[in-house]
Amino acid sequence: MRIMIVGAGQVGYHLSKKFSMEGQEVVLVDRDESKLRRLERELNIMTVHGSGASARTLEEAGIDKSDLFIAVTDSDEVNLVACILSRQYQVKKRIARVRSDDFLSPGSPLNEQALGVDLLISPDRAMTDEIIQLSNVSEAFDVVEFADGHVLLLGYVVQPNNPCAGLSLKQLKKLRGSYRFLVVAIIRQGTPIIPRGDDRIEVHDKIYLMVRREDIPAVEELFNLSSRKPDLVFIIGGGNIGYMVARRLEEKGIDVRLVEEDPDHCEILAKQLEHTLVLNFDGLESNVLLEEGIDRADLVISVTDSDTTNILSSLLAKHHGAKKCITKITRPDFIPLLGKLGIDVALSPRQVAADMILRFVRRGAIVSVATLLASDAEVIELKVPDHQRFRDAPLKALAFPHGAIVGAIVRDSQVFIPSGETTLQPGDNLIIFFTKDAIHHVESFFAVD
Amino acid sequence: MRTGEVLNILGKLLILLSLFLLTPIPFSLYYQDGMAVTFLFCSLCGAILGGLLVAIFVSEKELGYRDGFAVVVFSWLALALLGAMPFYLSGQMPSFADCFFESMSGFTTTGSTILSQVEVLPKSVLFWRALTHWLGGMGIIVLTLAILPLLGVGGMQLFQAEMPGPTKDRLAPRIQDTARILWSVYVLFTLLEILLLLLGGMDFFDATCHSFATLATGGFSTHTASVAHFDSLYIEAVIIVFMFLAGVNFSLHYHGLRGRLSSYWQSEEFRFYLALIVMAVLIVTAANFFARTYDSTGENLRTASFQVVSIITTTGFGTADFDQWPPICKILLVSLMFIGGCAGSTGGGIKQVRVLLFFKYARLQLRHLVHPQAVGAIKLGKVKVPKEVLISILGFFGLYIAVILLATLVVTGLGVDIVTGGTAVIATLNNIGPGLHLVGPVQHYGHLPATVKVALSFCMLAGRLELYTVAVLFTSDYWRMARKPKLRWQGDKFSAVRENKE
Repeated sequence: MRIMIVGAGQVGYHLSKKFSMEGQEVVLVDRDESKLRRLERELNIMTVHGSGASARTLEEAGIDKSDLFIAVTDSDEVNLVACILSRQYQVKKRIARVRSDDFLSPGSPLNEQALGVDLLISPDRAMTDEIIQLSNVSEAFDVVEFADGHVLLLGYVVQPNNPCAGLSLKQLKKLRGSYRFLVVAIIRQGTPIIPRGDDRIEVHDKIYLMVRREDIPAVEELFNLSSRKPDLVFIIGGGNIGYMVARRLEEKGIDVRLVEEDPDHCEILAKQLEHTLVLNFDGLESNVLLEEGIDRADLVISVTDSDTTNILSSLLAKHHGAKKCITKITRPDFIPLLGKLGIDVALSPRQVAADMILRFVRRGAIVSVATLLASDAEVIELKVPDHQRFRDAPLKALAFPHGAIVGAIVRDSQVFIPSGETTLQPGDNLIIFFTKDAIHHVESFFAVD
Repeated sequence: MRTGEVLNILGKLLILLSLFLLTPIPFSLYYQDGMAVTFLFCSLCGAILGGLLVAIFVSEKELGYRDGFAVVVFSWLALALLGAMPFYLSGQMPSFADCFFESMSGFTTTGSTILSQVEVLPKSVLFWRALTHWLGGMGIIVLTLAILPLLGVGGMQLFQAEMPGPTKDRLAPRIQDTARILWSVYVLFTLLEILLLLLGGMDFFDATCHSFATLATGGFSTHTASVAHFDSLYIEAVIIVFMFLAGVNFSLHYHGLRGRLSSYWQSEEFRFYLALIVMAVLIVTAANFFARTYDSTGENLRTASFQVVSIITTTGFGTADFDQWPPICKILLVSLMFIGGCAGSTGGGIKQVRVLLFFKYARLQLRHLVHPQAVGAIKLGKVKVPKEVLISILGFFGLYIAVILLATLVVTGLGVDIVTGGTAVIATLNNIGPGLHLVGPVQHYGHLPATVKVALSFCMLAGRLELYTVAVLFTSDYWRMARKPKLRWQGDKFSAVRENKE
């Protein structure tokens, strides 16, 4: 597939990297020539210098051969014009990043349909969605939805109070009873393991589970994780994201306290929000935070414009007893540091937006879906080929390659989580987890000669 | 620098080359020259050595920007060493230094030989000599990129380090596809030339070897008299055309083959190249005419065109002993040696585009002297040349002069006379083949001392990889960045966990 990306910012970079590593043909268009030269050296992509809103540049970049067009520059107008241009060249799928609400609300005269864009994405909205999803599943640090949200991939850190710590997966299987879940990956000190029956879960491991949505409470109980909705949430920073998150949370009946430094902006927020308590102070003043009950907070969401403030306020909140924090970070380079500092979840809006675009593009396609947080394990969706070998064969009889595991099976829009006795049918879509080294084994396993 | 990864890739390349070492075997069996077992042995040695490297050093699956230089330079050295084995075992070359020189001369498409009589070599070894040209012409690493998926990550670094020219054209978003396109064009032209030479009455063996040597702009012939052996206007014409084509940027051929013939003319470098050739042919013909070197004007023009194209494309085939020509022709040919082919071609030398930009830069400076306030840009065709490219070209010239001076000092210091030594350095650094005087077109390099041969082999490699790639390995900065390789048995925690499981 030939993919054209306009804008070599963080989103464009992230997407180019992911797509080119998958072996797609990526053409990146940007106006900054020196940046392009650097990226061309680093990634296996072609770069074209020029404006994405210019037909000549796009033609030079080979737009007529492209199958997917993604416009992610900083300017809404450039992105939209570029997308409209790409429609003239019959590009099949078009995605644009926009900030302004004028294009985003479904009722506006220039919405997705009117503009002829398949997906309009706003980093702030994507970020809000991600935060809301993470706040639902209270202790998970990573959540990925599959099959329209029927099955979820949840990442948890194994705490010392987890009763399953030290158990092997075989023992866990006996414990779990009729609930269906599957440990698909364990990340131990940064290295991923695709577990088999004898592998044990140890304290401080990060484990990834495939769970049906309805089974989440049962699973969380098994692992001694609090599964209740958060009662008290602090939001530091009343910008776009802070406001939208507050709004969504208060609709769920959660007690929200929104901290904002600027008094004028506080008044606007107070006017727009219903039940949220808007507090006017700097999120780094610990005595005020304590007075307002930060020690009882189930969740602290730091989303100011400053990375420093976000990191420090999260650390402060955790220090005073807040249970979990979600921290916005503009520079994704810092994310690996933050886990060590004790920050539970660090999100970069641009990376979240890029991941959302990836998920949208890959819907139904046979390509990998996601990289598990900062490790070498990946997820791929594969169709079972029509071959005698796979017909009605139970999974355990198939000698599935080491380092890979089937996390879920999608059959006729039904999703289920397999066990060793599950049989495959040709045409099933399998969601497979694997370490980087095992990809070739998986490919040759499904190769039909 | 990721030392382990570099050695791992080196191992894979050796395995690939050991496969190519099997290709002379059919010729050996057909001509019954008794070299089949030798080639099998060489191939096995290469495969075992390569296999060991792959087995010992763990691939880190990632190649940094810097690693490309080391991979390319060490691969070429290793390939030249392995490629020298059949020469050595054939028993026709006196020392291993000779074999190494011959092999390096093959891979770098120089075409300088140490043999006074080429025909003494068994046919299969002659084929191997031509094949080293062909593999080195478009580049064995570019070939690996094209046919094997193993160099996926970091392929751009390798491509840049091996392909000639100050800037590289990308014909497809993925570097693998670009490499595939270039090699396809190369193979297509080779097949076409073989066909045309067969029509001219050459036998299959000679046609194949000469086509390999032409398209790679190498210059090894299967006969001591080179192309003059055939004494056929048709064959010379075919070879002139293909030498000319091999000296053109292969991206232009790709566009041309897709029907966009205008892209040739739109390329300023191509126009410069063509104009230079026409001019040089006219001057040489005229000089020979007045000096009465040949009896007829037709023969004058025929030898002049062949020699000029052969030299400017850095092929080095001969139909005449230009050492006997008037001095103006000799100095003209030596100057053409410096210029070489176009960027992105298989030719050596400084490259047309660098020379062109160098002159444009000088012209801009002159204009600045007259109009100090003038704002000028250096353009190639319709595109402005980025400043970094210009600076890199100036740096290239500096490095180039330094290498020539140094190499000439070494060579003359070892007792070779000025004309022979100087032109030997020029002819090897620019990957041409014949120089003047004792290394002239009808002479050979065999009589030079072994140390000179090694020094000249180094010039060939530096020239083929365009100096920077080789020179950077001589900076201490580069080696300070080297990392310890990861060996297969020093399993890290992760692999230990995995092994426990199995």
